[in-house]
Amino acid sequence: MAETVDIHALAGAYALDAVDDLERAAFDRHLRDCEACAVEVAELRETASWLTHAVASPPPPRLRESVLAEIGRTAQERPRRSAPGAGRSRRSRLVRWTVTGVAAAVLAAGVGVGTWTVAQQGVREENARIDGVLAAPDARLVSSEMAGGRVTLIVSPSRNAAVAVLDGLADPGADKDYQLWMIDSAGPRPVGVIADGTGRQYIEGVAPIFAITREPSGGSEQPSADDVGQIRL
Amino acid sequence: MNDMRPEQEELPTQRLVAVPAPQRRVDADELLSRVARGDERAFAELYDLLSPRVYGLIRRVLRNPAQSEEVAQEVMVEVWRNAGRFDGTRGSATAWVFTIAHRRAVDRVRAEQASNDRAHRVAASSVETPYDDVVETATARIEQQQVRRCLDGLTDLQREAITLAYYNGNSYREVADLLGAALPTIKTRMRDGLIRMRDCLGVAF
Repeated sequence: MAETVDIHALAGAYALDAVDDLERAAFDRHLRDCEACAVEVAELRETASWLTHAVASPPPPRLRESVLAEIGRTAQERPRRSAPGAGRSRRSRLVRWTVTGVAAAVLAAGVGVGTWTVAQQGVREENARIDGVLAAPDARLVSSEMAGGRVTLIVSPSRNAAVAVLDGLADPGADKDYQLWMIDSAGPRPVGVIADGTGRQYIEGVAPIFAITREPSGGSEQPSADDVGQIRL
Repeated sequence: MNDMRPEQEELPTQRLVAVPAPQRRVDADELLSRVARGDERAFAELYDLLSPRVYGLIRRVLRNPAQSEEVAQEVMVEVWRNAGRFDGTRGSATAWVFTIAHRRAVDRVRAEQASNDRAHRVAASSVETPYDDVVETATARIEQQQVRRCLDGLTDLQREAITLAYYNGNSYREVADLLGAALPTIKTRMRDGLIRMRDCLGVAF
């Protein structure tokens, strides 16, 4: 295909069922690996469902009778068990709904379930910045496996900002933290420290390369050689 | 004390600004979890709560009343059957139900299209702007007003792209054709339009 397919751009059309079967299948696959997208889609669907308010129209009474009669003779599916080893998704422990949707997933990953609802000013500001990036029309998503987990970057060129989400990376080790870097021709610039393998960071200023290293607790001024991984932006 | 009710009860739109998730949503969530445990009375309540919107949506997409009834029945029975698979961490019960309803309606429309060849396409191109219709049928209900206000906040292209897809069941390719816009533009407008609506509605979980 000639157009550069940014699958993430399909989120709206997907939520509106405006994609064809192939695209739907591709996007479904994509959703399995992309936490932020899954949350965004759910949220856009939630939004779309509001449109039904404008077209509400009572069905004929016979429909009620006939539906109730049919369920009386219809067995229910069992709830899906998250059987151990049966491909239980990381998603279930990660995704949480909250006020700001995608930002929520990001925050949930960062601060842990529950904590992020605390309406601290600082958290809210961070939240707003994160939401700004996620809501930017040019927001793009790149994701990569690192250290046994997944690192996802949501990048908005127009805002020259990004959000990094670390999900389930191995413990960096005693007295060590993960440190995030943006690297351009001028060299590496430290853009955040995350104490363990799960967290999130708002990053102002996007460079061609994003990198993660293990550093002594608190972070370093220059990256050590303990490279965890890089993502080319 | 004989307090007379103040007469300024009707400030129509003003107070709608920050109405967050309506209480009804909680009810639907609760009902659905009871339905998941096989509670038929809860199902009847859920039916009463949501069927006007389920049927209205399907009818809007399919146009044909008999077919709409049929599909609405399939949808409601599917809600019964799969209630136990609803995952509340992924959104509200109402959104779950309408996602099923919309998908079913669209599937039906596409199947029809495939058999009726292009006849529908021609009809679709002469379709009135769905939005006008929305405005017409909207009553004074808060949610409707909110939806309308938020649709108003979109650009024309965002609004048309979203309503053609949602209310007419058009694919984004068809929408691009109908509106004479490029595919990537339509994809983008659908997404950023929905995001803008989300923010406007204060969709919250």
